[in-house]
Amino acid sequence: MTRLESIDALAKLRADLAGQEGGGTVVRVCSTGCRALGALGVCEALEREIAQRGIGSQARVVRTGCHGLCAGAVVVVVDPAGIFYQGVAAEDAAEIVEETVIGGRTIERLCWPLEGKAVPLKDDIPFYKHQTRLVLRNCGVVDPASLEDSIAHGAYSSAAQVLSTMSPEQVIEEVLASGLRGRGGAGFPTGRKWQFARAAKGEPKYIACNAHEGDPGSFMDRALLEGDPHLVIEGIIIGAYAIGASKGFMYMHGEYPIALEHMQIALGHARAAGLLGSNILGTGVEFDIELRVGAGAFVCGEEIALMASIEGRRGMPRPRPPFPAQAGLYGKPTNINNVETWANIPRIIEMGADSYARIGTDGSNGTKIFALSGRVRNTGLVEVPLGITLRQIIYDIGGGIPGGRKFKAAQMGGPCGGCVPARYLDLPVDYDRAKQAGAIIGCGGLIVLDETSCMVDIARFLSEFCRRESCGKCVPCRIGTKRMLEILTRITQGEGEEADVERLERLGRMIADTSLCGLGQTAPNPVLSTLPHFREEYEAHIREARCTAHSCEALITTPCASACPAHVNIPEYCALIAEGRFTEALDVIRRRNPFPSVCGRACHHPCELFCRRGDVDEPVAVRDLKWFVSEQVEDIGEPPTWPGPREGRVAVIGSGPAGLTAAYFLALMGREVKVFEQSDVVGGMMATGIPAYRVPAAALERDIEYIRRAGVEIETDHKIESLKELEEEGFDAIFIAAGAQKGARLELEGEEADGIHDALTFLRKVRAGEIQSLEGRVVVIGGGNAAVGAARSALRLGARSVSVIYGRTREEMPALAEEIDDALAEGVEIHYLVSPVGFEGDGRVQAVRCAEIELGEADESGRRRPVPKPGSERVFEADHVIVAIGQQPELGFTSSDDRVVVSRGRIEANPVTQCCGEAGIFAGGDAVTGPATLIEAIAAGQRAAQAIDVFLGGRGELPRDTGFASRSKPSPSEAEIDRITVRMRGPDQRSGNFDEVRLAYSAAEARAEARRCLRCDLEK
Amino acid sequence: MAENATPDRLVSQSPSEAEVVEALDSLVTRPEANLIGALQEIQEGFGYLPPSALERMSKRAKIPLSRIYGVVTFYAQFYTEPRGRHTVLCCRGTACHVKGAGRVLEAVQRELGVEEGESTPDLMFYLETVACLGTCFLAPVMMIDNEYYGMLTPQKVAAILQNFRAERQ
Repeated sequence: MTRLESIDALAKLRADLAGQEGGGTVVRVCSTGCRALGALGVCEALEREIAQRGIGSQARVVRTGCHGLCAGAVVVVVDPAGIFYQGVAAEDAAEIVEETVIGGRTIERLCWPLEGKAVPLKDDIPFYKHQTRLVLRNCGVVDPASLEDSIAHGAYSSAAQVLSTMSPEQVIEEVLASGLRGRGGAGFPTGRKWQFARAAKGEPKYIACNAHEGDPGSFMDRALLEGDPHLVIEGIIIGAYAIGASKGFMYMHGEYPIALEHMQIALGHARAAGLLGSNILGTGVEFDIELRVGAGAFVCGEEIALMASIEGRRGMPRPRPPFPAQAGLYGKPTNINNVETWANIPRIIEMGADSYARIGTDGSNGTKIFALSGRVRNTGLVEVPLGITLRQIIYDIGGGIPGGRKFKAAQMGGPCGGCVPARYLDLPVDYDRAKQAGAIIGCGGLIVLDETSCMVDIARFLSEFCRRESCGKCVPCRIGTKRMLEILTRITQGEGEEADVERLERLGRMIADTSLCGLGQTAPNPVLSTLPHFREEYEAHIREARCTAHSCEALITTPCASACPAHVNIPEYCALIAEGRFTEALDVIRRRNPFPSVCGRACHHPCELFCRRGDVDEPVAVRDLKWFVSEQVEDIGEPPTWPGPREGRVAVIGSGPAGLTAAYFLALMGREVKVFEQSDVVGGMMATGIPAYRVPAAALERDIEYIRRAGVEIETDHKIESLKELEEEGFDAIFIAAGAQKGARLELEGEEADGIHDALTFLRKVRAGEIQSLEGRVVVIGGGNAAVGAARSALRLGARSVSVIYGRTREEMPALAEEIDDALAEGVEIHYLVSPVGFEGDGRVQAVRCAEIELGEADESGRRRPVPKPGSERVFEADHVIVAIGQQPELGFTSSDDRVVVSRGRIEANPVTQCCGEAGIFAGGDAVTGPATLIEAIAAGQRAAQAIDVFLGGRGELPRDTGFASRSKPSPSEAEIDRITVRMRGPDQRSGNFDEVRLAYSAAEARAEARRCLRCDLEK
Repeated sequence: MAENATPDRLVSQSPSEAEVVEALDSLVTRPEANLIGALQEIQEGFGYLPPSALERMSKRAKIPLSRIYGVVTFYAQFYTEPRGRHTVLCCRGTACHVKGAGRVLEAVQRELGVEEGESTPDLMFYLETVACLGTCFLAPVMMIDNEYYGMLTPQKVAAILQNFRAERQ
């Protein structure tokens, strides 16, 4: 590269390069971030293939920086067509050259997948479509090791414009007018900072570029340094000119080897070309940049500490003033900005301050780069206008949360930032409003947390970081962060004290108020920003030693067993299935849950949501395995029988899952148990609310028979009128498990008309054979499992059409995803975003009148609020309407008894002991919680049995459930298969009958699937 | 690319007097030498910071030894004892933590039989953690020397370390 002696020489070089560029195909391979997954091998393979075919004059490979969509590594873009390939390996090179470079065709399997379709063009991928890539424009495009390529793409044109046409004051004016605020964290207006440095007395003046991107979860600066180093250098040159500095330092993070290499190359090239050094571009301006590498101290990202480190001292902050602009490096005026801020400067000059300022919101102008990571599909670098909402970043660009989990919070602004909960998903993200939500934009790290992230553990983790990185100079930070960490640690270990929450708040405020520098002042933020929104998580740890995210190692066995409300030892029975020991596997399940046949078919399997295998590919099919063993073992089996005489008589009201489970465990513990059921069928909702195509009567009967064999007596057609009646009969304890059997009403006019059914009554009558056909058009109102079950049942009974109407979208529907899929496959229509407002028809229903719904801003849980569109109306004609909008307990028999407190239609009971306050009376299941899930009712029965046994003088111990399977993991090759899906009968075979839809695994399939279990239990 | 720990250098032996003198001469005579950069170079040369080198540096460059040690002990990157030839650098960044870095680190510790900040007895590996490697899309991630290993599970870690060792024996 020859030295550019003038502004014109640069312009001429750029024009020459544009002329040479010509046509031809350019294959741009991310060779920085993607290097970790073999990008360099891809480059070499592509070059080899191109050379072998002798098409080197028409096609070339460019090793670029980060393309942004890191989730797709290794990323390759074929220009000028703009074809985007992801997950590329060296073995794909021949096909890419043959098909795409030469043939001009796209290779579907390498394209970005969107809802089952391939998206060939980069610009059509939602990840890119919703961004404004201003600063990152050339990142992933230019060859960062080539000054020529950068110049051809516009590098140094802004610097040339500034040096030749603008005075330093004009440059500062322009930066001020742009509204640019520091992108490193504090958000101080950049132009003001420059004014101070320019006005400051003292020579020489220094520039510093803070390239010490130390915040965990941030990699925007790394990408810029690696992918477009000349953009950063150009920004610094402009700043140096504006301030009047002749010397600059760049202080770089020590763990960025590629950034260091690229910056060294770029600085060398810029010097050789006369863009740095004396007489830059012949303008007489003198400026150069010296590169310094950090030695592993986070606090050196703080400006004062950074300057101390550049001077070769311990990187410790000191009180300000004096500010760097007054006395910075070596006591001289110094202006310090971070990488992304510097990279914005050339763009502001290029487009003009006015155009730049129009991007973003008032007070937060321009774009911001976010590093999106954590529990989000499209991890990577995202550049968006300030003021965009979190929902847009995480869902529209980020593709949402994988694995069917829910968004919990976004950890923003680095470790000392804050956690923004779901209710703020629709809050525009800018400097001022991020603060309202208790966070900061900071340098732009955005780590998405889902249900598997424990907020106490996150606070502990971040506090540990702050404690480690405290430089130790001031007491509040050095000792305070240590004390906070000790408290948080003991909470996550289940040893927290009731006063700890208040202690943390007090300590946090004190540390924030009295620390010397930004690190200490913000160190309590992880705690202070999670406490208000996630207090109940702190309290669950402290009061119940329970981690609701099933992540605190000290409080869980494995995430799956912890997430299972009944705590079935899942790894143990998976291992037994893998070994072919099916009877023993069934036995392990029954040691916590007496309903393997029912749960194997109808459980909502929270275990799978938390299964760690899900982070690798897909969770282990825990529920299907349970179903398999319950079917495979033909003998119902004999529960352990109580040897001695039974002591203590217990009455159980209700034969649903909660009641029967309690009865079963109490029988195992040697109690005499009698279950009273008011109807003529045993099983509660399992027998009446779940359609037979999901749980056939025979499956339920198997589980009930096993419970009977344990010694449980069940009496049907016996309605309990009052608790006194039972006490007079001599029962020592009573467990109320009456369920929630009454359908909730819409409370709309005309609801009494003929043809309008309550879903639970409808489902019960179908199971009892009282309804054998249903004709005409059926409309089901609701979105839960009862609604979908009623719809699928109606279709089987011969309905001409079945429509489900639901007020939100599929995302929010509470029914199981597989139920919804099956319903759609069978021909059920689902209409989203409509809500009933009335019925039409005289005496007999003819139609449902509905309003259309729009989703508004997030509610407390992050779900968007349904808001009816004014004046909108949709009418669904109907011969039958089934209302499935919720259930309530029927608790008339407790009304005369003031020992049982009923509030809002539910019995009040201790959530751990299920005790109702009065000795000897316990309650659990839907009657206490309102309509919940099968496994939660089973868990309530289990807890009640333990508490009742203790009440009767026993130890309340459940059967031992560990130590049966071998303690070795399946070999990696055995474990490496994909999840095995169960076979299903085709939709055409399902109509007109209530036969089971899904078909259980074969023994070979079950053993293979069970070997996918990672055996997290063996990590302890 | 900057080489971190030079992979196959034998670091267990103490540097000779001559080596120390040679290493320091270039640093002392270099214009605008800064202490941290000089220490980084000494460490790169020897694989660690031999106390004898620091003492000699103090005398020749006329920097108080206390100041040198102040800097050495402040920064995580400096160390005054020989370390294993290959540095296993486990990321404990937030994104990695959320995706199970804690269990990955435990698996590395189990596999190597050392704690953070220790070398294996055969000086093959040195185990260290880092605040963030800035490759959060690979979470959980670790580096061995300058090579990234991403999307780790405790199972994968064992295989990677065993292969790494086998290839170099």
